Amino acid sequence: MAILKTTRVSRQFGGLVALSDVSVEVMENEIVGIIGPNGAGKSTFTNVIAGVYLPTSGKIEFCGQDITLNAAHEKCHAGISRTFQLTRPLVGLNLIENVMLGAMFGKNHPMKDARRESMEFCRFLDLKNIERPVSAMTALEIKKMEIARALATEPKLLFLDEVMAGLNKDETMDMIDTVRKIHSQGMTIVIIEHVMRVIRELTHRVIVLEWGKVLCEGTYDKVSCNPRVITAYLGEEAEC
Amino acid sequence: MINSIVNQFKQRNFLFGFILILAAIILIGIYKPAVLVEGLQRSALYALIALPMALLLGIVDIINLAHGEFMMVGAYFAYFMSAQFGMDPIVSVLPALLIFFIFGLIVYYLTFKHIIGKPPLNQLLLGFGISLILSEGMTAIATNAPRKLSLDYVSSSASIGGVTFGTFEFVYVAGALIVLLGMQLLLKKTATGQAAVAVGQNPRGARVVGINVNNIYLLIFCVSIALISAIGPLFMTRYTLFPQMGSSFTLKSFSLVAVGGMGSITGVVYAALILGMGETLVLSSLKYGKWAEIIYFALIIGVIMYRSHQRQVK
Amino acid sequence: MKYSKYLAVLVLFIVAAALPNYLGLYQLQIMNFVFVYIAFALSWDMLLRSGQLSFGIAGFAGIGGYTSVLCGYNFALSPILCILIGSAVAGIVALFVGSQVLKLRGLYFSIVTLAIGEIFRVIVRNLEVTGAAEGILLPNAIFMGNATKTYWLMFAIATFTIIISILFQKTRIYYALTSISNDEIVAASSGVNIFKYLVIIFVVTSAIQGMAGAAYWQIYASVTPEGAFNLGFALLPITMALFGGVGTTWGPVIGSAILSVTAEYLKLQFPHGHLLVYGFIMVAAILWFPSGIMGVFKQFTAKFNT
Repeated sequence: MAILKTTRVSRQFGGLVALSDVSVEVMENEIVGIIGPNGAGKSTFTNVIAGVYLPTSGKIEFCGQDITLNAAHEKCHAGISRTFQLTRPLVGLNLIENVMLGAMFGKNHPMKDARRESMEFCRFLDLKNIERPVSAMTALEIKKMEIARALATEPKLLFLDEVMAGLNKDETMDMIDTVRKIHSQGMTIVIIEHVMRVIRELTHRVIVLEWGKVLCEGTYDKVSCNPRVITAYLGEEAEC
Repeated sequence: MINSIVNQFKQRNFLFGFILILAAIILIGIYKPAVLVEGLQRSALYALIALPMALLLGIVDIINLAHGEFMMVGAYFAYFMSAQFGMDPIVSVLPALLIFFIFGLIVYYLTFKHIIGKPPLNQLLLGFGISLILSEGMTAIATNAPRKLSLDYVSSSASIGGVTFGTFEFVYVAGALIVLLGMQLLLKKTATGQAAVAVGQNPRGARVVGINVNNIYLLIFCVSIALISAIGPLFMTRYTLFPQMGSSFTLKSFSLVAVGGMGSITGVVYAALILGMGETLVLSSLKYGKWAEIIYFALIIGVIMYRSHQRQVK
Repeated sequence: MKYSKYLAVLVLFIVAAALPNYLGLYQLQIMNFVFVYIAFALSWDMLLRSGQLSFGIAGFAGIGGYTSVLCGYNFALSPILCILIGSAVAGIVALFVGSQVLKLRGLYFSIVTLAIGEIFRVIVRNLEVTGAAEGILLPNAIFMGNATKTYWLMFAIATFTIIISILFQKTRIYYALTSISNDEIVAASSGVNIFKYLVIIFVVTSAIQGMAGAAYWQIYASVTPEGAFNLGFALLPITMALFGGVGTTWGPVIGSAILSVTAEYLKLQFPHGHLLVYGFIMVAAILWFPSGIMGVFKQFTAKFNT
């Protein structure tokens, strides 16, 4: 069953068309990868689904409900959660409080329950010293904290926006394991990624965006043989 | 393709608004001809006062809450120059430009320089603090007593077709036109002006392409301060001075810039026309004259609701 | 360390309770200023914690003041009830304004709050029912002018504000507001209804300002347009909060306590332009010590401990 279904979703910024007629589906308990060159509309797609921007036209259905015009916090309550391409920790709060935010407002837990739940998520993601301020955390820990914050809202669908960016080889391996672990709990995941190896290892299906349009979609092997993808993506392929 | 259609729509909207304002002005002209002339003069004064803020807030995104207070200080400067050395206020516009450019330089280096790029809250609070220093400093120097020069030429008047109006106030119309043209030239024709527009749109990007962002901020700030302070002498020829007069002009200027659309210099002039004409029309009525001050609040509220609605749609 | 905090509060409370027995009439009046400014400065800071800067203290204090005095004048209601009505009306105005402007936030919000006081000043000056330019004079001051009772009233309002502030710092509202002021997109993506929480905090703080303003003008038993909507009510509390240290409960309290006493002294010494000092304090606080006295104090204790 399709958990997320977009129908001809478009988004313009002034005259600039960032997304045009994107119609995709995400099935339950699937890991879908979204790839594409810089400026292809990957992050805009995430932002439109998560409600940071509303689509200029088109329809977004989630679990059979029309959520096209819902605000960001309503989409979160509906069960869509996301991390950010550039990490955005809340510096006024410490590690556990950052995670608690998701549990308190995403899932409407009272404060005490939220704390307990959040500690579970921190343990699950191997985050220690949970009373630390953000300034005392490494880049990997901040990324994990943001995943924990997203998970704490107990979503049905998780968007991971370039979680591997800026990580070294060991950290990337660690993160791939983490994503697998989250998926094994029954989570549906959409992963936006630059690093092809990650896409190859993790995803069941890949959607390729170019100039705000869906170029093609299918399994990794099928997509990577597509000549149009190769021309659009040649530089990136060489990278991994 | 879509872009050009959007542009056309904007143009048509714009044209529609322009025709509406024009029609309203013509109607007023038939109904009360004196209001038309006085309203034009008042609008010009408002435009004159709001344009330096449009430059600073609309173009490079710095909000100066001490805007009106700088005009007040400039006005007092002209008052004292006249009282001490007998210098005509109109003449003292020129030294005011120079002196307050330097004053702006000092204020910028001491204060605003340090908060560029920090949260806008800091700018608001800083401007509020500076406005307090200026108005209270002036109270300490000159006391709260209202002051006014008596100049003969201010009360000159003319009659056309039975309508009598002051001729001196056309100095505001001339001033507004000069400042408007000057700003348009600066922003459209000079490299510095183009750089300022770029800085306003994207400071980081502007820095990357090699624009000296700090110098642009400095220059625009000083030009804005010099202009608003030099309008003080023009203002005080006709109106009474007191140290607290500035804040209401800050509010009015802001609402004009907001109505005109951040970043649009000509938009401010149209907004000033609405405000000036509206106020003059209300003032001309004996019964409701004292409610004239409420006009610009209506303007602010209207704009806020409009923009709030726009945001929702977006 | 944990208990010393409670001990300090207890000592403060006992001192405050004992003061009316030892202070003269004039000193008690100054204490009223201290309490009213604590309510203003702290409520302003509570809103600032959400990242919204309000200049509306003067406006809401004036609305509360006018409402309460009008209720007393026209319906001869008991002063306490008048104060509560004043507070409620200020809250309702904030609800209306907030529901319109808090979608835009930032600069627009600050400017609109600055305009609220001006709007109401023009309105009350032009209406007959509000006594036009002369304002309204009540036949009697609250508690018939009993200084000790008014002291307790103002003390209660200041304490109420402090308690609300502490409560807000300890409940989920704190997390909502901190996340909004840190990063609105993250807050919304984590499920925080930004608009709802901002309206709540704006209404609560405005109601507090309305209440403090209402009590203040009940003590004077009169209101005038220029007095009630005096911009000084906006800038003194802001300076006090910045001076004491924003973002904490005790910073604005300490700042108001110190600066409202010195304000009285300065007013006597320099009848013209005594507010100049506040302008300088405000600018200096923003540029050089953004966390105020509390920040300096914390730095000092941190050094002392290591």
